[in-house]
Amino acid sequence: MAASTGTVLDELTMGRAVELESLVDRSALREMAESARDLFGISLRIFSESGALLADASQRPRLYALLDEQKAGQAALSAVVSAVKGLEPEPETELDYVCVTGARYLVRAISYDGRRLGRLILGPFRDPVAAPSAGVAALAPGLDPARLAEAWAELPAVAEDPARQIVRHLSLSLDLILFSGHKALLTSNMHLMSVQESYRELSDKNTKLQHAFDRLKELDRLKSNFLGTVSHELRTPLTSIIGYSEMLREGIAGELSPEQKEFVQTIHEKGEQLLGLIKGLLDLSKLESGTMSLRKSELDVVPLIQDVAQTLAPAARKKAVEISVESEPGLPSVWGDAERLRQVFLNLCENALKFTPAEGSVRLAIRAAVLERRGDDEGRGLVLFSSKRPAIEVRVIDSGIGVPDAEKERVFDAFYQVDGSATREHEGTGLGLSIVRRLIDAHDGTVRVEDNVPRGAIFVVTIPCRRTTIA
Amino acid sequence: MQLDFAARELTIKLVYYGPALSGKTTNLQSLHEAADPTITGRLMTLETRDDRTLFFDLLPFTFRDKGGLSVRLKVFTVPGQVIHASTRRLVLQGADGIAFIADSQVAETENNATAFMDLKENLKTYGITLKQIPLIIQFNKRDLPAVRSDGEIASLAAQGREPVYLAVATRGNGVVESFVGLLYLTWSALDAEHDLNRKFGFDSTAFLESVARRLGHDRPLPELLGACVGGALEVLRPEAE
Repeated sequence: MAASTGTVLDELTMGRAVELESLVDRSALREMAESARDLFGISLRIFSESGALLADASQRPRLYALLDEQKAGQAALSAVVSAVKGLEPEPETELDYVCVTGARYLVRAISYDGRRLGRLILGPFRDPVAAPSAGVAALAPGLDPARLAEAWAELPAVAEDPARQIVRHLSLSLDLILFSGHKALLTSNMHLMSVQESYRELSDKNTKLQHAFDRLKELDRLKSNFLGTVSHELRTPLTSIIGYSEMLREGIAGELSPEQKEFVQTIHEKGEQLLGLIKGLLDLSKLESGTMSLRKSELDVVPLIQDVAQTLAPAARKKAVEISVESEPGLPSVWGDAERLRQVFLNLCENALKFTPAEGSVRLAIRAAVLERRGDDEGRGLVLFSSKRPAIEVRVIDSGIGVPDAEKERVFDAFYQVDGSATREHEGTGLGLSIVRRLIDAHDGTVRVEDNVPRGAIFVVTIPCRRTTIA
Repeated sequence: MQLDFAARELTIKLVYYGPALSGKTTNLQSLHEAADPTITGRLMTLETRDDRTLFFDLLPFTFRDKGGLSVRLKVFTVPGQVIHASTRRLVLQGADGIAFIADSQVAETENNATAFMDLKENLKTYGITLKQIPLIIQFNKRDLPAVRSDGEIASLAAQGREPVYLAVATRGNGVVESFVGLLYLTWSALDAEHDLNRKFGFDSTAFLESVARRLGHDRPLPELLGACVGGALEVLRPEAE
């Protein structure tokens, strides 16, 4: 909550937190007082409400110095000092004080926002036409009256009205300084408090986001677990369905009529199809949970790819699509799991076949490549990260419908279909490419989609060879 | 509210809330101009170079009652621009009463509503609901073309709980009435909660009339309070639970 910062604002605007000392700079205040004294020729003192002397622009008049030499004079003067200090004028008013010598003082409250923050004392000065009080001579009995008169005459002579104007002017100037000081104090505090409040707000939001993120991660984990369990449980009865339908088809339970055979064949095919899907789900959940173990070994990719092409040749013929493999001679072997890589290329080729119309072609091109790891986006810190590794690149090139730019990354998301509509032309679960991406990731390799010109898509898989680097 | 028993001093915080450019600062300027200089200090405006309120405006009033109680009013505005959300929340804290300044132009209806929801949300962060705080609504800028009609405002206001005032703050119309209405509601709510009138021997009607007089409106209180359309000057009392 903003409780603590709000309290500061309250103190600065509602309460008594404002003090003269906190609003003005002492040395600047003294300079101002001295300048006023020089201008008007009258001593000036500024006290805070607590009684501290904040600015002293005073000169001891010779009259007081003379009186100070006498015992009675000394006592009378100190009585004057405490009397003047004891005066407490109301805000916006000033009090007049006449001292034993006949010299005068004006005391005005320094107030801000209706509250007294201190006092301003102007004096001593004398009325231009007044004579010293009769009591002065008694305070300094041994003193030459002529010297006293001379010292009296040295006191600044100001009539009452101009003197009052002077204190009012000074207090108005101070008021302006206090107002500006208060405003600056409030502004700087508000800046600080606003930043703190914004920071608090952002932190709250971040915490909420973090919670939401943690919860999503947990849900994702639960989903993978669920997928794994369900797939496993589905697979067991399905295996029986496939097995028994196969036995029926083989005639183990007696000869079947051609029609019965056809029905059983359909059950068997659909069972296999369903098994494929369940295996895919199982693989995905294993890959997501990181429990799939790969059996890697030195592996020659070319025969593997040729085998994939052969496997799919009947399907390609059926669709009147030409499937071919071309490879550079003398390719190095890669470090991988043969079964899983077969799954990868089978998947990619099936995909390519699916999206390629009749009279089209699917080409598998294999060549040596270099797998480069980069530093950050700007290529900084390359020396820290870069390791050029020899690799094999397999390009699955089709002349099908292609992949739009916006979909090039998303096709690797699980369950994603470029055409997600219920009436889409091409069937499939949307699992194949996400499994491909994860399997290739597990091989430390990369997979990406490029455009084939004039039409079609190229899936480029790069798999590193043994863990050596190129100098 | 802050109460200093020793100094017999009561400080009340009133906040002018509303969408950007609805005339919150103009309301304060108008009050400041209308006020007798003995009861008000300088209007402090913390503004940016383009005359938009940056943090807040602050107009202080001090009234001394015959009984010796000194009532200090601190009238704040909040910055209306959306980006100053955190500042608005800071300024709103501890408010005893709120004047919501709405822009009468039809095109601003949406902004008024958004600002009002913002007020509601911000009060919520301090654990206060709109029902619990003294509130008046002022429809400002009545002199502009394409404003919502008097009839429309009156009929809607009649269904609402809070008093609604019509104003042209640039000319000072309706400004003092809104202020006195807000002060009446706020004082009544504080009195109901803290028993101020009895504790300090305070005559709230005389106080409100003297406030209005020193703002240049020499009218009896019922007449001043009657300036609102619809709603009710219903005194909020602490819920008996």
